[in-house]
Amino acid sequence: MKKWLSYHPRYIRSLVYMLQASEYNICDYLNWYGRVKNFNKVECRKHLIKTPKAILIFIIAWTILLSLYSFAISLFWLKLGLIKYIFFAGILLIAPYFLAYVIIAPIILIRIFIQWPIEFVIIKCAQKKLKKHKAIKIAIAGSFGKTTMREILKTILEKNKKVATPLHNHNTPLGISRFIKILKGDEEVLIFELGEYYPGDVKKLCDLTQPNIGIITGINEAHLKKFKSLDKTIKIIFELSDWLKKNPIYVNGENNLARNNVLNDYIIYNRKGIEKWKVENPQTNLKGTSFVISKNGQDYKIKTNLLGLHQIGPLMVAIDIAIKLGISIDQIKEGIKNIKPVDHRLEPKINNAGVITLDDSYNGNPDGVKVVIEFLASLHNYRRFYVTPGLVEMGSKIKEIHKAIGIQLAKTEIEKIILIKNSVTPFIAEGLKDANYNGEIIWFNDALTAFDALPYLTVKNDVVLLQNDWPDQYV
Amino acid sequence: MKKNIAVIFGGQSVEHDVSIITAHIPIIQSLLASGQFNVQPIYISKDGSWYSDQAMNNLNFFKQTNFIGANGICPKQKKIQILFDQGLKLVWPGFRPKVVKIDVVFPAMHGTFGEDGSLMGLLRMANVPFIGCDLFASTIAMDKVLTKQILSKENIPVVPYIWFTKFDWETNKNTLKEKALKLKWPVFIKPVHLGSSIAITKVKQQSDLENMIEVALHYDDKILIEESIENLIEVTLPIIGNDILQTGEIERPLNKTEFFNFNDKYLSGGKKYGGMKNRYSEIPANIKNELAEQVKSLGLKSYRVLGCSGISRVDFLINNDSQNVFVNEINTLPGSLYCHNWRKAGISNVELVVKLVALAEERFKARQKITYIFDSDVLNFTTIQVHEHNA
Repeated sequence: MKKWLSYHPRYIRSLVYMLQASEYNICDYLNWYGRVKNFNKVECRKHLIKTPKAILIFIIAWTILLSLYSFAISLFWLKLGLIKYIFFAGILLIAPYFLAYVIIAPIILIRIFIQWPIEFVIIKCAQKKLKKHKAIKIAIAGSFGKTTMREILKTILEKNKKVATPLHNHNTPLGISRFIKILKGDEEVLIFELGEYYPGDVKKLCDLTQPNIGIITGINEAHLKKFKSLDKTIKIIFELSDWLKKNPIYVNGENNLARNNVLNDYIIYNRKGIEKWKVENPQTNLKGTSFVISKNGQDYKIKTNLLGLHQIGPLMVAIDIAIKLGISIDQIKEGIKNIKPVDHRLEPKINNAGVITLDDSYNGNPDGVKVVIEFLASLHNYRRFYVTPGLVEMGSKIKEIHKAIGIQLAKTEIEKIILIKNSVTPFIAEGLKDANYNGEIIWFNDALTAFDALPYLTVKNDVVLLQNDWPDQYV
Repeated sequence: MKKNIAVIFGGQSVEHDVSIITAHIPIIQSLLASGQFNVQPIYISKDGSWYSDQAMNNLNFFKQTNFIGANGICPKQKKIQILFDQGLKLVWPGFRPKVVKIDVVFPAMHGTFGEDGSLMGLLRMANVPFIGCDLFASTIAMDKVLTKQILSKENIPVVPYIWFTKFDWETNKNTLKEKALKLKWPVFIKPVHLGSSIAITKVKQQSDLENMIEVALHYDDKILIEESIENLIEVTLPIIGNDILQTGEIERPLNKTEFFNFNDKYLSGGKKYGGMKNRYSEIPANIKNELAEQVKSLGLKSYRVLGCSGISRVDFLINNDSQNVFVNEINTLPGSLYCHNWRKAGISNVELVVKLVALAEERFKARQKITYIFDSDVLNFTTIQVHEHNA
């Protein structure tokens, strides 16, 4: 009843927003639609962006709704007796519900008859252009850590090479094709992130990007809801190594699922080193990370602004590739110094009140969470806050993963845990309870309220870790 | 189960507006942020009417130009009534009156009718726990002269002063002027009952004395004239606790003007972190360790002597030449609870308000054990006497 009462003029805008926020993915949209209890409150974190596509759907939706109501009203002119009143009431009641499903039709039609043909042409042109491009192409696949890997590689290699990468997180065939279109042809290294949204995606992207070098950053439960099983995820990610054949492929040895699927000629990297490079004396704190790399009796001290020992593995990959591309150690060290934390990925910020915030709101995968809690635990002499709404798309492992987070937090004795009320955080609380957590658990109804409250909960030198953030479609 | 906490602010006081700021930054915002309370804001207008609406939990409500006045938002609302019924209840009158039982009260009223003990008396009668100093400490601290008299009796140093009432001034002006001239000049003239440095003036020339006294008497009927320390270090120390006391950081206001006035305290540099931003004060104050020890010791002693509880702030004047420390006054409701200072001491706003609520409940619990009633047969005895008299 409450849901029906929230059908009002803003309802159509809410539907269009839900489609847009779900990136016009019909399944995600329908799942979200089923969960919404009040259509007045779907635009919480973001708002509808008036793109031509959104405006077109908006107009179509209003046209459909008004047509339905006009039809209902026109029934009164027919000599149907009592039945016309029943039809009128029925149409009035069902119209909003009906509309939510009917507006999918134009999206499918637009996709089949306009979007896909255009995309097909764009992708084919890009593929053709890239085939002629002489740059070394590096492809990064994995359930997590792709953007950080890309940024590390780019910053180090561009000390000596002309490097280009797609902007932001453009990792779909269309996004990459648009990037290829603007290439000048004089680039020496191209770095691509390969998005793995559906089976076959990685292979399709390999066909497009034709990589010479591959990096698999790891495999975990991220997107498990979509892929249903980890075996399927492994198969999709390893499409990159299948494609590369004898070309070099780097695999994250700190990730069990990736490590268990490597073949003999794969290059394993981790925080202890890579091939003959050994890592010694690793140290990390809020100012950054330092370690010594040694090979054939020669030592080099490396310093970076990146936080956490888990950053050493990706840095070693970049160092190894850079050396193989003929970049000197001094240039590599200089490049590493220039690496800045990627936005919202363990990005440290300090406010006027002296509170240190570690913004890790784009990190929503179990491996990422694990290493970040390890880092937080390593910060002594600080009062530490861990703020999270939990992780999304964990499929059947939802309880197991969140309980494990709770247990890890309890064992590392983080002083304050702030949990956002939703379907997953009770599992974190369960883990905390099972591991006899001694600190304070503070609950908030939503993330925005928690963020507003943080200035009142913290004092100078407190460290606040913001772990993951849920966009509207997951709330 | 969340507790219902009423935050009372505004009131018929020259510090009405300051009270609105204190109530919101940090009290209401921190209480809400704690997630432990249902906050019931109670706004007392300048004409003494009581209003309560959830919209008043937002400071922006009071930034609207029409929130009060003839056609304002508040006057259109129902005035609330208070009911003493095994505690305090708020009543919104009507066909079906809405009644909310209050578990704890957070007084946030500066100055008259609030900080002066009037509100505390009301809350004692209502038998409800409330935050901050009780009736007696509030009343004494509100009177700068009474405070000095009590402190000096307990050998706590205060700056030499004289005091008189409006009646004394009108009937004995010349004698009082002579007394004032005997003090070491320049002097400060202060209304005895006002806070936030309102109507305080520094008089350097004897010709200005009469005029400035008249100004102060315009705001109060009892005034204080005290010596000014010229090479002055002004510091302040917030303290919380009932029996076990905890001090904040010693803070030194960095005066923009000749003394720390209303503008410096509340208006300069924005209000985001309370009345005073850090650049207007030095926390902790850069003073010698011996002086800091003396300040803390005198602060704690003064807090106990006046019978403070919950929270207070003790203000000090230090003569930089002689290194003598004087207690200047005690403020039983520091503006914005001096939350900026407590944060420097490692106590967040939420921890501060939650601690203050716990202290209020602790004091209330202790008070419940005190016997206030006594069974006697005085009435029967009186009846017999009356019968005998009639006979």
